[in-house]
Amino acid sequence: MKFQVRMPGETEGRTVVVTAGAPAFEATLDDAVLTGEALEVRNGVWSLVGRDGRQIEVSVALQKDGSVRASAEGTLFGFELLDELTARALLTTGGRAAKKVRHVAAAMPGRVLRVLVGVGDRVTQGQPILVLEAMKMENEVKSPRDGVVASVESAAGQAVSQGDVLVRFEAGGE
Amino acid sequence: METFRSNPAPRLLIANRGEIAVRIIRACRDLGISPVAVYSEADRGALHVRLSDYAVAIGPPPARESYLVPERILAAAKSTGATLVHPGFGFLSENADFARKVEEAGLTWVGPAPASIAAMGSKTESRQRMIAAGVPVVPGMTTPAESAEEIAAFGRANGFPLLLKAAAGGGGKGMRVVRAEAEVGEAFLRTRSEAKSYFADDRVYAELLVEGSRHVEVQILGDKTGRVIALGERECSLQRRHQKVLEECPSAAVSPELRARMEEVAVAAGKAVNYVSAGTVEFLLAKDGRFFFLEMNTRIQVEHPVTEMVYGVDLVVEMIRIARGEPMSIREKPSPRGHAIQCRIYAEDPAHGFAPSPGRIRRLRRPQGPGIRVDSGVEDGDVVPLDYDPMVAKFIVWGQDRDEAFRRMKRALSEARVEGIETSIPFFLALLEDPDVVANSVSTQFLDDWKYEPRRPAEDVVAASVIAAALASMEEAKKRRPGSAAVPDGVGLSSWRNARACVGVRE
Repeated sequence: MKFQVRMPGETEGRTVVVTAGAPAFEATLDDAVLTGEALEVRNGVWSLVGRDGRQIEVSVALQKDGSVRASAEGTLFGFELLDELTARALLTTGGRAAKKVRHVAAAMPGRVLRVLVGVGDRVTQGQPILVLEAMKMENEVKSPRDGVVASVESAAGQAVSQGDVLVRFEAGGE
Repeated sequence: METFRSNPAPRLLIANRGEIAVRIIRACRDLGISPVAVYSEADRGALHVRLSDYAVAIGPPPARESYLVPERILAAAKSTGATLVHPGFGFLSENADFARKVEEAGLTWVGPAPASIAAMGSKTESRQRMIAAGVPVVPGMTTPAESAEEIAAFGRANGFPLLLKAAAGGGGKGMRVVRAEAEVGEAFLRTRSEAKSYFADDRVYAELLVEGSRHVEVQILGDKTGRVIALGERECSLQRRHQKVLEECPSAAVSPELRARMEEVAVAAGKAVNYVSAGTVEFLLAKDGRFFFLEMNTRIQVEHPVTEMVYGVDLVVEMIRIARGEPMSIREKPSPRGHAIQCRIYAEDPAHGFAPSPGRIRRLRRPQGPGIRVDSGVEDGDVVPLDYDPMVAKFIVWGQDRDEAFRRMKRALSEARVEGIETSIPFFLALLEDPDVVANSVSTQFLDDWKYEPRRPAEDVVAASVIAAALASMEEAKKRRPGSAAVPDGVGLSSWRNARACVGVRE
C-alpha cells in the first residue's frame, strides 16, 4: 500500500510503500528499503526492530484528517500521512487551500473572565481578545488573524466547553 | 455503626488532593497512622481517595465549594474520628483562621502555630517582622495598595519594573510584572481579580523587581522544644509565569560560606516567629551575592523532595512527629550528599503556549530505577480534572553530582510515556539541553525569554514513526472492512496468558 507523507517544514513530500505489514514489515521510504519486525504492543504503541537490531518504540495517534502525532525517544512530532487514493482526491479538489479562520473557539473548557473586544472592533493577529480561566490560570485567548469582530458569542462569567465559539469574524475583512 | 472493620491506629485527615495528598498518605503509612482523604465530586475516583483508609465527600468540584471550605473539612475529621489534620500545600495550608479552627475543634494541626502563619501569611506584615529581626528585605510597600495610583506613586519613587503581588498570595499565583507606569491600571485590576479568586482576598502590593536575580530558598524545621535547624538551600530560579518548574538541591550558585550565612538568616527568621514544623524562607539572590528575604512559606513545599534526597530526611514524617509533640528525629544536622533535581510535570501543552490539557490518561509509564523518585497523584486510566492545578507528577532524581543528576533526569523524562493528555515532559527534555541551564547561568527571568523549541527526532526515528503510522493505518482499514478476518479464539494469546487461566494465577 502506498502513502504520501508530508513532514512539517519540508517542501518535498515523501512516499512510503508498504509491501509487507506486521509482524515482518517491508517498506520503501523514498528510495530506501526498510525491513524488520513490527509489533503493536498495545493500541497505538509500536515496537519496531530493524534488520540491524535497532529498536525504536513509537506511539502514533492517527486523526481522521490524515494528521499523525508521533512520539519516540523523547521527541514529539507531527506529520501528515495520506493513502494514495485520498491524496489524489485532495489534489483534484484543489487540496486543502488555506481556509480563512472565521471564528475563535475555546481550546479548553473554562470560564470567561473578561471579554476585551466588541462588535466592529478591528483586531490584529496575536491581539488578546478575551481572558479564559482554566486550571487556576488566567489564559489570554489571542486572535488567530487580522480581522473585524462580527459577533461576540461569550460574556464575562460564562462557563464554556471546549470548541464553543467565542468570537466570530466578518467575512473577508483583512 | 461502621460498614467495615475499623483500623485502631490514630487517623490523620489530609485536607488536600492529588500528588501532595498521596505524598502525605505515604508518610502516614510509614508512621503507622491511618490516612483519611477528603474529595470533591470531581475526585471521587482519584488516587488519593483509593489509597486512604477513610474518605469523605466535601462538595462540588470548584475548590471554593469543597477543598476551601473549613467547615466541611472539620466535619469530615469529626465523622471519621481523625485527630490530626495535614493541609499539604495550596488550598487552606496557609490559612491561619483554618489552623485556629482545627485547634479549637480539639484536633492537632500538622503545621506551624496559627500565629506564625498569620505573621508570615501577610506579606506586608512578614516584611515588617523580618526587618525587625535584622533580616535583609527588598524595597517594597509595607501596606497593601488602596489604588492603582498608590502603586504608580511607589513606582515613580523607586523606579520600574515592579512586581505586583497578592498580599495573601503564594505559589506564584496572583503576581504580575509592571514595566511602566502605563501598565499599572490593567495590572492592578487583574492581580486583584486573581487574588480574589485564588485567596478570597483582593489586597495587593508592589515591590521593586531586582532583575537578573536568582530564587534560592532555605528549608527550615522547628520543633516544640524551640529548636530550629536549616537543611540547606534549593535553587528555584527556573520559573514560568512565576511558577517554579525545575528545582535543584543544592544550588550550584551557592558556596559553603554563602550557604552558612543564608542558613543563619533563615533560622533567625524562623525563630522570630517561634516557628514549629517544616517551612521555607525564600530569598532573592542578587548577582553580587547579596540576598534579600522574599517571603516565608509556612507549609511543606512542592519542591521538598530534592532536600529530602540530599539530606536523607523525610520532611512530611518530621512534620507529623513534631505536631504530635515529639522532638525532630534529626539529632545532628546532616551534611548535603550529592545533587537532586525535580521537574514538575504539568498537564499542559508546551507546543501550544502551555495551554491546559485536562483529560483521561490513556497510558502512563513511570520512570524507574536507581536514583529516581516519582511523586504523583495519578495512574493509568485516571482523569486529570479541569478544576485544579495542572501538576500531575513530580520527577525527582538524585546523583553523586550535578552531571549525574542531569543525565538521570534525562533518562527519567525519556523513559516516561504519557498519552491521552499533553505534558511538559518534552519542554523539560529541551530545557535540559540548554547550555545556560547546564552551566547554571540562569535567573528568575531566564524562562521569560526562553523559547521552547521541540527537540527534533533523528532520521531513523522519523522513518520508524512513518512506518508505524502506515502499518497502523492499514490495520485500521482492515478493521473497518466488513468480513475481515478476525483473530480466531486463542490465537495471538501468549502461552503465558493461557497458563494463567489454567492455574488461576491472579493478573
